Amino acid sequence: MTQEYVTRIADFIARYLSYMLGAGVHTSRVVRNSKRIGDALGVDVSVHTSQKTATLTVAEKGRPVMNTRVLDIPAFPISFEWNADLSALSWAAYDRKMPLEEIEARFDSLVAKPRMNPVFVLLMASLANASFCRLFGGDIWAMLVTFTATMIGFFTRQHLTRRHVNHYIVFVVSAFVASLCASTALTLGLDSAEIALATSVLYLVPGVPLINGVIDITDGHIQIGISRLVNALMLIVCIAIGMSATLMLVKDSLL
Amino acid sequence: MDDIFWKSIADYNTATWPLQILFIAVAAVLTLILWFRPRTWAKIAIKVYMVAVSLWIAFVYYMKYAAARDYSEVIAIFWCMVAAAWIYDLLTHFASFQKPDRCSPWRISFLFLPLLYPVISLARGLEFPMITTPMLPSAVALYMLGMLLVFSRRINLFVFIFIVHWSVIAISKIVFFDIPEDILLAAACLPAIYVFFSMMVEEDRTEYKPSRTAVKALVLAVAVLIGTCMVVEYV
Repeated sequence: MTQEYVTRIADFIARYLSYMLGAGVHTSRVVRNSKRIGDALGVDVSVHTSQKTATLTVAEKGRPVMNTRVLDIPAFPISFEWNADLSALSWAAYDRKMPLEEIEARFDSLVAKPRMNPVFVLLMASLANASFCRLFGGDIWAMLVTFTATMIGFFTRQHLTRRHVNHYIVFVVSAFVASLCASTALTLGLDSAEIALATSVLYLVPGVPLINGVIDITDGHIQIGISRLVNALMLIVCIAIGMSATLMLVKDSLL
Repeated sequence: MDDIFWKSIADYNTATWPLQILFIAVAAVLTLILWFRPRTWAKIAIKVYMVAVSLWIAFVYYMKYAAARDYSEVIAIFWCMVAAAWIYDLLTHFASFQKPDRCSPWRISFLFLPLLYPVISLARGLEFPMITTPMLPSAVALYMLGMLLVFSRRINLFVFIFIVHWSVIAISKIVFFDIPEDILLAAACLPAIYVFFSMMVEEDRTEYKPSRTAVKALVLAVAVLIGTCMVVEYV
């Protein structure tokens, strides 16, 4: 195995693991999958991860031909599809002993798949929040209010994100807008108006970073686990700030 | 609660009817200019008008005449957000009002729906000043919706979603405050949901999934679902 070939493998695995980490896959799965692809190609893979960067070493088994690099982890939207597809790719590479060229080609086709339509996501997130409202005891009026309030908040989030506004600010503004719109339910004197208010911001809850943080810590990736939990905590604080602003305006208290 | 609601409308009408007529006249003139001689200044003026009318509803109607209602300041803030959406539009040229090459009569009819508010009130036996007028929040929202439907080539979705939200509030008011005039807004919003979101889906040429047809079917299903919820609760 030449140095050039090891470098090519390292190039590919660097891309592979940065896409997976960026798309919100938990660390042990990324490490496991990268090592599996390495096994398929006859190299040892060692990975060290942190929140923003990862260090990767690819070495030919039993020989001192290696390549080490530090790579940035891009911020992709959370993608369960990439998670599933890229994990399946690692198994396919291992089981069928696929050559590097074929793995690269399949990887490129998987990550080039079209994204979800933003209107579709907007409507589904709004429906999901309205359903949460129902689960927490809201009536149909509260569900409708939650639906449209979520739609406004989520659209604000999509729009500000597209404009590359700092994402903590995006969370504060979106939580404020959604909760303020939901608070209009109070004017109707509904029993479940407060349920509408509370559930209107649930679409912002960073569930994936929270779960990944816990999984990472239990799997021994303490550093990145804590980073992810702190990141999720910051987002929750932002939601709380946005919602508190609404409550202070509307009810003059936080309770 | 019902008494306070209608008394605030009566107080508002008694005190502001000359200004209401002025607002309606300005809206009519600007709409006609946009239709017959669309100039840049008229396109800007109509957005300034939208900002002014939103702030009028927020501060004059809700903060002054409807102040006795519970949480009226919440609605005032909501209308300030509608004004903010128009200001944002004005500053960023997010959407623009253009004379349509062709426009179906049903879309144009939306522009006249706000004028039906006092007619319906009178038809069901109410008397001035305790009647709905085109300068009440729902009628204003309906006028905005009509303008977006007729003149907007690129949709200001912020404003539109605010109007949809307001229609949900309005339809519940039919039940809680006995104001059936608001059926107009709710009935207008449902087809508008389909029209605007479908337009948005068609405008974006990026390849997404699911297909455009599937997303438009979802939009239709959502509009039908919202309509069904409204009808079920109203009946």
